Amino acid sequence: MFYQTSIKTVCVAAVTFGLIAYAMLGGYFAREIVIEIALLAMLAIALDFLAGYGGMISLCHGAIYGVGAYIFGATTALSGTDPWLAALAAIAGTALFGWIVGAITANVGGIFFIMATLAFGQMAYVIVFESRALGGDDGLAGVGRFDLSAVGVNLNDSLQFALLCVAGMLLAYMVAATVLRSSFGRTLSGIHANEDRMQALGLSVRTHKANAFAISGAIAGAAGMLAAQHTQYISPEYLVWTLSGEALVVVILGGIGTLAGPVVGAALLVTLEHFIGGYTDRWHMFIGAILIVAVMAGRRGLFGEIEHRLSRRSETKTEAGIHA
Amino acid sequence: MLEVRNLCKNFGGLAVAKNISLSLKKGERRVVLGPNGAGKTTLFNLLAGTLTPTSGSIILGGRNITRAPVEKRARLGLARSYQKNNLFEGLTVRENLGLAATTASGRTASLRCCAHDGAEMQDIIAEVAEQVGLSDSLDKPVSSCPYGNRRQLEVGLALAARPKLLLMDEPTSGVGPNMIDAFDKLIHALPRDLTMLIIEHDFDLGFNVADSITVLNYGEVVFEGSPEATRQSREVKEIYLGDWNHA
Repeated sequence: MFYQTSIKTVCVAAVTFGLIAYAMLGGYFAREIVIEIALLAMLAIALDFLAGYGGMISLCHGAIYGVGAYIFGATTALSGTDPWLAALAAIAGTALFGWIVGAITANVGGIFFIMATLAFGQMAYVIVFESRALGGDDGLAGVGRFDLSAVGVNLNDSLQFALLCVAGMLLAYMVAATVLRSSFGRTLSGIHANEDRMQALGLSVRTHKANAFAISGAIAGAAGMLAAQHTQYISPEYLVWTLSGEALVVVILGGIGTLAGPVVGAALLVTLEHFIGGYTDRWHMFIGAILIVAVMAGRRGLFGEIEHRLSRRSETKTEAGIHA
Repeated sequence: MLEVRNLCKNFGGLAVAKNISLSLKKGERRVVLGPNGAGKTTLFNLLAGTLTPTSGSIILGGRNITRAPVEKRARLGLARSYQKNNLFEGLTVRENLGLAATTASGRTASLRCCAHDGAEMQDIIAEVAEQVGLSDSLDKPVSSCPYGNRRQLEVGLALAARPKLLLMDEPTSGVGPNMIDAFDKLIHALPRDLTMLIIEHDFDLGFNVADSITVLNYGEVVFEGSPEATRQSREVKEIYLGDWNHA
């Protein structure tokens, strides 16, 4: 069950302010890092919504991100569609893609679910890779960006674009948190806890899972849509399955089933990547070691561990208060 | 309320339900007896929809539900409690009852408000918790509840669905005499228009709560009658105690 605790609010706010400050004080390179963190966090929020609260560990979220990037990129680059309309199409399209994957895989459990979602992701990758109209493996250049000049924002400015991405991350978090607190989200947690019982109580589990997949897909697609605007260029690289793996690493590193964890995890992973990468090319090895430690030590992830310790401390305090 | 006609279920060559027919009037409390392996839980699985019958039909409230999916039967007012606890682990008692009450009411789709926390559901939660004796444990995680409480919650989840037909599979299995008494009281306090089918191993409790009794053996109905007639039945004695004449 999801509750927007004060620990979550503080952590998400701290990361958000940290990113804004870093983007404002740092130069172009700092803003690139901020954008990378914000978009990865969006993708990981989408995945945690589905995996952490619905028990559906998807390995096609990287592909959904790519589909979002492609719908936005191809419509703006090829037909000059208005970016706002293209963004709407990207979000609707990825929601539909997610819904279809969710409806088909709803009865598949465990490792087979993971494999089935991976297969869907690979199908999307191959279709894009083989498609001449979409530029094949060369990709497409000339992707547009939102026009916010009416409100005095110039998105061709690296700072302002970075801030847009941070706003996107915050919005993704708020949408996911709102849905998880609703009847829909509670029901999703119920499916995660005991699917058979939910069905015996009258729930159409397949429909609910498919709808959850659609919401998660839309968030992942929105992240991809922003990524296409960022690079203004799309290629099949956006749909490579290792991105799904990276999102899962972020979710586990930050704390699965916490929603704030992905935000913390994304900041941690990208920061470590650049920090350790400054010393050695073998930074993957260090990230791997950190991930193993995170999984072995309590399996809660960084944010999960913080939340666990703080809530335990407040519990002992109340107990001490009662005994006093 | 419930009309079962010539229900059969075969697993390959093994017939686990043979020509079962039974009819329950609205408000009737029927206890199903039978030794281990008689097909009692199989009958429940056929009624609730987790198993599909090989032949025969099931009519619930005038509607043929023989091939209807589990969730559709539940939405028509059928609820069940399980022989082995089948709870929402990792959540509190309140969250468990809230999920049961809200899911059964069908208010699961809203993306903004939370029916689970609404006054209407909280009333049902409080009422069911009172009925099954869990009012003091509402905010405890299920995982830290003792077995007896978990058993109470198992029945509570079915009651929170506000069913018209309640199937209870050995609700008192594994609990002590105090809880059997409490359960007896619970059944007697439930509204008289609730139709119940109860699998029970405790004979005294079974005879006490039943309006009528069905005895199953080897997947067949071998006896049906009032509790008094069942008590007197030689056939039923033979099933449980063996044929004394040949001993």
